[in-house]
Amino acid sequence: MPVLSVRDLSIEYRTRRGPVQAVRDVTFDLAQGETIAIIGESGSGKTTLAVGLIRLSPRSARVTKGEIRYDDGKRAFDVLSLDSERLRRFRWADCAMVFQAALSAFNPVITIWEQFLDTGRAHGMGDKHKVHDRTRELLDLVHLDPKRVLTAYPHELSGGMRQRVLIAMALLLDPRIVILDEPTTALDILTQRAIIDLLRELRGRLGFSTIFISHDLSIAAELADRMLTMYAGRVVERASVDDLFYRPRHPYSVGLMRAVPRVSGALGSVVSIPGSPPDLIRLPRGCSYYPRCPFHIEQCLAEDPPLLQVDTPNHEAACIRWEAVAAALGSDAEAPVAEKLA
Amino acid sequence: MTAATGLIDRRDVSRIPARLAGIVEFLRMMSRKPVGLIGLIGVLFFLFLAYVAPFFVPLQDTVDVTAIYAKPSFAHPLGTDFQGRDVVNQIVYGGGDIITTAILAALFSTVIAITFGSIAATVGGRIDALILAITDVALTIPQLILLIVIAAIFRPSSFFALAVILALLQWPALLRQIRAQVLSLKERDFVEAARSLDLGLMHIIFREMLPNMRSYIVIHFIIAMTLAIYAQAAIMFLGLVPLSGKNWAIMLYFAYNQGALFFKDSFLYLMGPIMAIALFQLSLVWLASGLEDVFNPRLRN
Amino acid sequence: MSPPLIQLDGVSRTYTTPAGTITAVDNISLSLEQSETICIVGESGCGKTTTGRMLAGLLRPSSGRLLFEGADVWEKKGQDLARFRRAVQLVHQDPYASLNPTRTIAQTLAPPLAKHKKAHGRAARAAMTSLLERVGLTPPADFLLKYPHQLSGGQRQRVSIARALTVDPRVIVADEAVSMVDVSIRISLLDLLHNLATEFHVTTVLITHDLAVARYFARKGRIAVMYLGKVVELAATEPLVSDPAHPYSTALIAAIPEADPMITRTKKRVTLKGAEVPSLLNLPPGCVFHPRCPLSEPGLCDVVVPTLGDLPGGRSVACHVALRERQPAAELLGVR
Repeated sequence: MPVLSVRDLSIEYRTRRGPVQAVRDVTFDLAQGETIAIIGESGSGKTTLAVGLIRLSPRSARVTKGEIRYDDGKRAFDVLSLDSERLRRFRWADCAMVFQAALSAFNPVITIWEQFLDTGRAHGMGDKHKVHDRTRELLDLVHLDPKRVLTAYPHELSGGMRQRVLIAMALLLDPRIVILDEPTTALDILTQRAIIDLLRELRGRLGFSTIFISHDLSIAAELADRMLTMYAGRVVERASVDDLFYRPRHPYSVGLMRAVPRVSGALGSVVSIPGSPPDLIRLPRGCSYYPRCPFHIEQCLAEDPPLLQVDTPNHEAACIRWEAVAAALGSDAEAPVAEKLA
Repeated sequence: MTAATGLIDRRDVSRIPARLAGIVEFLRMMSRKPVGLIGLIGVLFFLFLAYVAPFFVPLQDTVDVTAIYAKPSFAHPLGTDFQGRDVVNQIVYGGGDIITTAILAALFSTVIAITFGSIAATVGGRIDALILAITDVALTIPQLILLIVIAAIFRPSSFFALAVILALLQWPALLRQIRAQVLSLKERDFVEAARSLDLGLMHIIFREMLPNMRSYIVIHFIIAMTLAIYAQAAIMFLGLVPLSGKNWAIMLYFAYNQGALFFKDSFLYLMGPIMAIALFQLSLVWLASGLEDVFNPRLRN
Repeated sequence: MSPPLIQLDGVSRTYTTPAGTITAVDNISLSLEQSETICIVGESGCGKTTTGRMLAGLLRPSSGRLLFEGADVWEKKGQDLARFRRAVQLVHQDPYASLNPTRTIAQTLAPPLAKHKKAHGRAARAAMTSLLERVGLTPPADFLLKYPHQLSGGQRQRVSIARALTVDPRVIVADEAVSMVDVSIRISLLDLLHNLATEFHVTTVLITHDLAVARYFARKGRIAVMYLGKVVELAATEPLVSDPAHPYSTALIAAIPEADPMITRTKKRVTLKGAEVPSLLNLPPGCVFHPRCPLSEPGLCDVVVPTLGDLPGGRSVACHVALRERQPAAELLGVR
């Protein structure tokens, strides 16, 4: 039984120019202990999706349909149907979120200890000493010195330290699911490495399921079991990490893989995706990737393609031309797309 | 390329001439916030009344003792004054001086504030400290008292002189704002790029920074006008300036001093100019409120 | 033999704060030729942005000289200085801040064309059109009347580049110019900058913390790796990336998370001693990297400051051990 089942989730924003379909018909499962990476760029809807999962969306956003089913073996419910009290208990105790470690994720005028205390109190941990003990335990877990960190203000900590603090805060109530929004963006290389290793270690020790939201493919390669690519609000491909990197079947996934250079190994033919993402208010009919797609045909404009099962197991792509994509890649080997298309 | 052509969405280029499209865009943005549009209409109405109407409505200056404080009637919708002259007629003729003075005062104070605010921010150092010190002193002096004292000393005998005096009271607030804006804009990437491209200080101040301060400047201008009008009403009501002629403030002075407060029928002689001033001020304030949105380029299509 | 186009000669930049003196850049020398592509890489606090701004003449060195065509820039005056300012242009990181939001693209491109090329009206419009085409914004007429907020991040960066090109620069310094742009279009921007170097002989310097971007951009050029204000390694890109000479570069390359599951699973890591990066206020004695360096030798590395020396193969490295053994650190650490 997956711990989180999202079905046909659609979220809409009201803007001056009209409603924006930021997230459309998103469906995926998260198994117990599994790590999923949701990869997308600006306008893909990934951040809307992430905050939508714990219903932290701004007031101008509205869930127009779908369900988010949570099932940890003892309780099962639809997150969208929870009232505010039960939602507050769901957030942080069952599912916690780690935001990007920018200074804006913190209250700038209180110390780190006070942030922990506030978070604990807000989620039902009344006893100050309990919060304190738990905080020290968590700071140890993320390899931070409590003496140094608890009395500091957010701006006194480095980006890497702030990220660790946010991870520790998310684990305060031992949640089943942790959602991380761009956990390594804007961090230095060595700090990124440390955070990735830390997340791997924590996952091993505490066994929570993870959802990463990022535009950075490398974090998916490092930590994810399965991946989803999003484009213009929809999931365009769902696969295991190896399948998505080496055997992508959606032209956007192919384009993305081909657009990211690597440091080790051969460069291959690295090339950008031409054009820009579509305007989400005036979405054209049919497949939204059509204008930028090298595989498109007339029929692609007829309707938005559904997720179709492709030639490897547990692998779906929203493209009616996936077989042509597979043929263009040629081999199914464990080699990067840029090399295969060179 | 003027600002007006900049407002056009490319689609409109072929269909409507440039200037007209700019105005259409402006009105569209104003209509988003109803108060703004109402304010605009109000201001236009009063400007028309003050500057255009006198060409069509002859001045009624003759004294008619039989009609002192006459009741409102078709011939005199707001009654007559203490010398039997029509009140509505006086209101039509009463706006010009006041509004002109207010515009001049706002203009002078804006120019002073922009000039010295920019200098203070770009030159820095001791000049900046000096300008700031003078500004702070000016800001802390109670305006009305200062105004009364200056009016008493200098006895401005023309509206132009009065405008200058009023301007001297208004520049401190805008100067600080301009200075703060320029200080922050100085560090912006696009200003640094303009410096690298060797475009010159004048270009940087007037073409790069000032357009980013448009909203402050225009809104200050409007508020400065409202303050100038209140100030005029105050000193003329108190009889401190040797100015004559027909204007709303002098009407107030006479109305009060000629006992219009005590007669039922003459009440409108007092209320007439008060309402004119109040409605004009309200229109100005609402216009400023509506303009706040217009000046945000991100809210354009 | 003509002098290099632009040179930093023993340049340092220090800041005095109430807490003490910060040495952002410490005695670096760098020579760049015409048409060259070079990347300056490093983590935050290494001084790469400060170095870039000093190269562009936007920041004055505390000591040392900036030479352009052999002449000291900060001694120049008047027309001479103005000529230098135009010759070296900076492209900023943030596409949202680099263009004046109250000006259309045409209004942004017109002033330098008017002032320096004396182009007005129709001639200016023709020049703008050709510039926009050169940076890949087609059809140009679509873009001239737009405001920055109507363009995407990538398009804005192209406009910034077009603006820099209005004055026919000899050097373009791009400060993290692709970091805030979508991943899938970074390559096209880098290609544009690269083209400027190869086709138009503009020396292009890219400052970045992303080694993958550096490798792609400078694949036919050089990379300078900086750490805590010093250049620790300077070499041609491919040798540096496949066989780094300095232990810091080695650790960096080994640590990069790669967009490739197989590589990332099988990569050999280099463990550094201690996680703390020293504060710029309190730099370690000798080699600034020694407290974290797995090759560090007490008595040598914590006492003597290493200088850039040559290794066979045309690479420079500032490491006592690597220079003594005449071998890149990657070999010595066994991660090749």
